[in-house]
Amino acid sequence: MLQALVSGALLGCFYALVASGFALTLSVTRALNLAHGEMIVAGGYLGYWLWAGSGLGPLWLMPVAAAALLPMGWGVHALLRRLPEPRELTSLTAGFGVALLLQDGMRALWGSDYRLIADSALTASLRLGPISLNRGRLAAALAALAVIAVLWVALTRTRWGRAARATALDEEAAALLGINTDLTGRTTLLLSAALAGASGVLFATLHYVHPAGGGPLVMVSIVLALWAGIGRMRSLLAAGVALGLVETLGVAWLGPGWRETLVAAVLLFTLLARGGSLARGMTAGGHAG
Amino acid sequence: MSASPAGLVAATALCALLPAAGLPPYYLHLLASAFLLATLASAWSLLAWGGQISFGQAAFFGVGAYAAALASIHGVVSWAALVLGATAGAAAGALVSAAALRLSGAPLALATFAFAEIGRGIAINWERLTGGGAGIVGIPALPGPASSPRAVAYYLALLLLTVTLSIFVWMARSRLGLALAAVRDDAERASLLGVNPAAWKLCAFALSGGLSGAAGGLYAHMVRVVAPDLVFSAWYSLVPLIMATLGGPRTALGPAAAAVGLYLASELVLQPLVPTLHQVGYALALIAAVLFLPGGLGGLVGRRRNAAS
Amino acid sequence: MPLLEGRGLCVDYGRVRALGGVDIEVEEGQVIGLLGPNGSGKTTLLNVLGGLLCPTEGMVRFDGGLVTGKPPWVFGRLGIGRTFQIPRPFAGMTALDSVLVGVTFSKRRTLFRAADRRREGERLLATVGLADKAGARSSELSLGQMKRLELAVALSARPRLLLLDELASGLSPQGRGEVLRFYGRLRDRGIAIVAVEHSVGTLARVADRLILLDGGVIAAEGPPSAVLASPRVAQAYLGDGDE
Repeated sequence: MLQALVSGALLGCFYALVASGFALTLSVTRALNLAHGEMIVAGGYLGYWLWAGSGLGPLWLMPVAAAALLPMGWGVHALLRRLPEPRELTSLTAGFGVALLLQDGMRALWGSDYRLIADSALTASLRLGPISLNRGRLAAALAALAVIAVLWVALTRTRWGRAARATALDEEAAALLGINTDLTGRTTLLLSAALAGASGVLFATLHYVHPAGGGPLVMVSIVLALWAGIGRMRSLLAAGVALGLVETLGVAWLGPGWRETLVAAVLLFTLLARGGSLARGMTAGGHAG
Repeated sequence: MSASPAGLVAATALCALLPAAGLPPYYLHLLASAFLLATLASAWSLLAWGGQISFGQAAFFGVGAYAAALASIHGVVSWAALVLGATAGAAAGALVSAAALRLSGAPLALATFAFAEIGRGIAINWERLTGGGAGIVGIPALPGPASSPRAVAYYLALLLLTVTLSIFVWMARSRLGLALAAVRDDAERASLLGVNPAAWKLCAFALSGGLSGAAGGLYAHMVRVVAPDLVFSAWYSLVPLIMATLGGPRTALGPAAAAVGLYLASELVLQPLVPTLHQVGYALALIAAVLFLPGGLGGLVGRRRNAAS
Repeated sequence: MPLLEGRGLCVDYGRVRALGGVDIEVEEGQVIGLLGPNGSGKTTLLNVLGGLLCPTEGMVRFDGGLVTGKPPWVFGRLGIGRTFQIPRPFAGMTALDSVLVGVTFSKRRTLFRAADRRREGERLLATVGLADKAGARSSELSLGQMKRLELAVALSARPRLLLLDELASGLSPQGRGEVLRFYGRLRDRGIAIVAVEHSVGTLARVADRLILLDGGVIAAEGPPSAVLASPRVAQAYLGDGDE
């Protein structure tokens, strides 16, 4: 039981990283980037091929994949600015399209085979008292925490961070204060793509990557974004751990095949419980407050 | 504007003649598949008429497919199995609507997506009922002359599409259509005038679900196999969305024509040319539609009263 | 027995008390005028009486039956109609269709045939002088025409009581004159009215009783001449002289 709890908490840290890019985009630009899952998968593939080619440890590959995904972030932002209102719905729909596009692209480039970064160092286990920790999961969780910490610093100490938080609270007011919301949005999306790339590499160490694997990832992101609320990194971590626990316990009870379904069910319950507002302070029509 | 009944009859008659004209079975199957997608697109439009955007038609399609398949392999006569599929789809629609009553816009779309994923998950994991990941095989073929097996499926698909389009045309002029349009434009106001939004929205979902379920049931008998990743695929949620958005969801023929046109173009032209990327066409079409459609998707969902609040 | 009765109505938005214990009674066919400065709770009261808002405390009875907390469509079906200060047309529908909504759904079906309903809709439009605009969409109407459509839509549900929110505001003197005539005609039909108007003079001319709201409570109440003579009116609108 304790084993499951610890395992779930570690998974949760990773999930928080997965969701961070999505939550950032949602907070600052009010857009639901449904292609976020596919972006992570793309990062995973890049990570895999780099690892297979160079033999470098996945942790070193994270920045590389993050950088490689920046153009994608740029592209998504370019699309985003042109979307008509209501922003949530149009971004959701366009995101659906972009996701399909990415899926097909990846299938064309890399086939439908399943790939895994099977680094032997990561599959070993560490014993900590009564608990056996999978090294890979531990490493992923620690890496995720490190990145989240950096993100938190960026949000609180940098100019971009202040601009992002202001725009997330009230886009019009931020613009009136002289913040270039468009630039802030672009930076946010670039960052979001980078986070997706980094998460992707970690993802590839934990799970098989295949082109259609984006669905559960984006659902996790949506759930965490809903649970954590707009622009709160610490809540995101807590939400991630909560989801990780729910999933691990659920899978322990029901069986591994139910993992994705469980996430979908959690998403459904979250939506139904919220009854119509996608995030604190937002209505389905897209007007803040 | 929506099609006149006369136009509909003419188009149907034309299509009905094709098998007799000696079209090869492969093309009959292709057209039948196109008709099924057109049915899904129209069913989706029924929901869009009421301002409800669904990202989860696959749920109803899949439920209908499995219900019909299970009935058929347990000895139920084909036509009854199809009816069962439609009923199952309608029930699923009602369930989704009842659960998601307070939702609209993006949250509703996400909820329907989640429902479809859950449907897929149940189909994969509840092995005793659904055969798990492998699904159900060996579904009996539709009864008909052995000389032209594809013809029966073709006619049934055509019939289903015609029925669906007729329902759409009827709906647009009926009390249901009026209620849904009012709820779409201003649910609160409609409510003050005596419209119970929940009841009518549920009607729309049940109708849409039933038609999608019928399409699923027919599909199951056409390919004689159902599997979770086959019938609960997000493909069947995405494609009707694209086709209806492109074709003009407030019209009867628009989504259907777009569906048939896009599908045939994709299968006959794109697929041979760029086999691995032929789905890209759909994706690009969707993005273009969202960007350039007059009023965007906002036009579909209706506008809430202007921001004086 | 009064047609509409509200007792002890309170509405709280978090820590803000929009209504603090309002009692109101409307008899069949009576016209009640609601006065008060901005923010006094007039629209909130209309929202509560019309079923759009559930009061935090208090109860509403219509025709003797308790309706507090019931969904808006129950209010609509019972015969309570509402216009909005800023017209809320059904954006995607024609004027005729807009009135057909109320005709079709408000009462247990009295008009079964579509042709009958259509005729009723056209008659309603003619009543407000929009007969020639039956096929127009709301985007094609002027403000005055939209206000008339508002009234027609509210009437389409065959209300026994109408809640009118600033019907005369924003109109020219000629428009206001027409509105006065409408008030008279509605009254002739025996429809009870609770009307909010900015122009105190308009209300004085049509109402049987006036209610002055200030800060969410009733500050004065009674026949127009009595209320208007009360110093509370000036106090409510102009403040206590310190501002």
